[in-house]
Amino acid sequence: MSSADPVGAQAARSLIERVFREEAGRLTASLVRLLGDFDLAEEMVGEAVVEALRRWPSTGPPRRPGAWLLTCARNKALDRIRREARFQDRLPQLAARIEALPDSAEREPDDRLRLIFTCCHPALDPDAQVALTLRAVVGLTTAEIARAFLVPEATLAKRVTRAKRKIATAGIPYRAPEPEERAERLPQVMCVVYLVFNEGCFTTGGDLGVRRELVDDAEWLAALLAGALPQEPEPLGLLALIRLHAARWPARLNADGRLVPLADQDRSRWDAPRIRSAVALIERAASLGRTGPYQIEAAIAAVHCEAPGWKETDWPQLLRLYDMLLAVDPSPVVRLNRAVVISHTRGPAAALVQVENLSDRLGHYHLFHATRASLLRDLGRATEAAEADRQALRLTANPAERSLLTARLRDSGGTG
Amino acid sequence: MKYVLLLTRGAWQEEGSEQERAQVFGGIVEWFTKYRADGTIVEANQLREPDTATTVVVEQGRSTMIDRPLLEAKEAIGGYAIVEVPDLDAALALAASFPVPDGKVEVRPIVER
Repeated sequence: MSSADPVGAQAARSLIERVFREEAGRLTASLVRLLGDFDLAEEMVGEAVVEALRRWPSTGPPRRPGAWLLTCARNKALDRIRREARFQDRLPQLAARIEALPDSAEREPDDRLRLIFTCCHPALDPDAQVALTLRAVVGLTTAEIARAFLVPEATLAKRVTRAKRKIATAGIPYRAPEPEERAERLPQVMCVVYLVFNEGCFTTGGDLGVRRELVDDAEWLAALLAGALPQEPEPLGLLALIRLHAARWPARLNADGRLVPLADQDRSRWDAPRIRSAVALIERAASLGRTGPYQIEAAIAAVHCEAPGWKETDWPQLLRLYDMLLAVDPSPVVRLNRAVVISHTRGPAAALVQVENLSDRLGHYHLFHATRASLLRDLGRATEAAEADRQALRLTANPAERSLLTARLRDSGGTG
Repeated sequence: MKYVLLLTRGAWQEEGSEQERAQVFGGIVEWFTKYRADGTIVEANQLREPDTATTVVVEQGRSTMIDRPLLEAKEAIGGYAIVEVPDLDAALALAASFPVPDGKVEVRPIVER
């Protein structure tokens, strides 16, 4: 293959993209640990990728691309610290540590865990935690993160830069918390992963492919946490929850890009092996004997995933799970979802009473109005239902949801 | 690393009874004594009330004076401590342990040369 061969170059580029996606977090994590410097670590990983792009088309990809990139980044880091005065006083120590860095990085889960806890440090703004985690742990570019969260790239880049600077100058330690501090810190890390998942799954529109990748990234992060903290049940719950939603992904939009409600989804398009794997995770989490909100949410998603059809859903079991969830997370949104279950166990009138009790706190939330609309329609109160749907429409910008609401209004003759 | 903990005054200082204030002050004295003794606190001082403050404003090389503190009364600094700890986590834990019923503590790294 010659270096001018466009096919070879393209193949190399797509290989690098894949390797980079899989390895960037590990590479950066290993280097940050050694250098104590995010920017330098990322820069070196970036330079290694450039080197790979230059070389691989003509040499062919190495047998172990990840190890190649790590070695290359490590050598570049060594060159750099030998050249730069700011490392002079730490040079002998740093150089020895970098040379001792194993190619296969067997400390990898530790490193990545340390990196993710540092990126999700409570002294950083939550938005910055999300951006930094995607940048440093997952290896997305600032442009990709900006696109996924629909913010200007300059804003996002500034957020990441400020966070990195604060980590370095404010002395945020590069370490995973001790087991006794973990109870306090782990929820924050899981919340960041959940936000990434949520952004991919439920919010604001944007490019569908980008959103799906965010769900995959969230799943990868959750798997990383679950793998590094095998005695913690909640990361397993979070991973299961994300995996169950990912399993339903192929059925959640119709050919026109309209959101298909769970009740109407073609369940044969759900990913059955993925569902089985998620259910096994929930069981493993349960065997650890400490329940928590992510495990309960995953169990709720599993009840839906395991039902052969909407009508066959085990509503009494769902109600029990929602009661458990309410005990640990007494939020109005949980109450709203519980009311939907009540409409199946005790009928729409009983559910409507519960929903309307939430109007003060959820009046700004489109799904409050959409849920109310659907209950009113079940009760034959079509005019009020249409008004509630219109209210929901005014409150959401998500194109898939807007399309669903518009269609529902049209079908019920309430567009006028 | 060295950090300064900037301690704001809390509502308890204006509102509590004499006895309640004395009790809180007792706790604060104990806290300072403990962390001075183990070397965590390098230096610490309590400041006089905010109404004793004068703010000097320098503009284009000329200065004017304002007869009040820099910050609003609600956020007025009541004291500070310079501490020497391994990292931000330790500094934050120390700040969170400051024994007052209400108030804020700003934790800032100090430039070390």
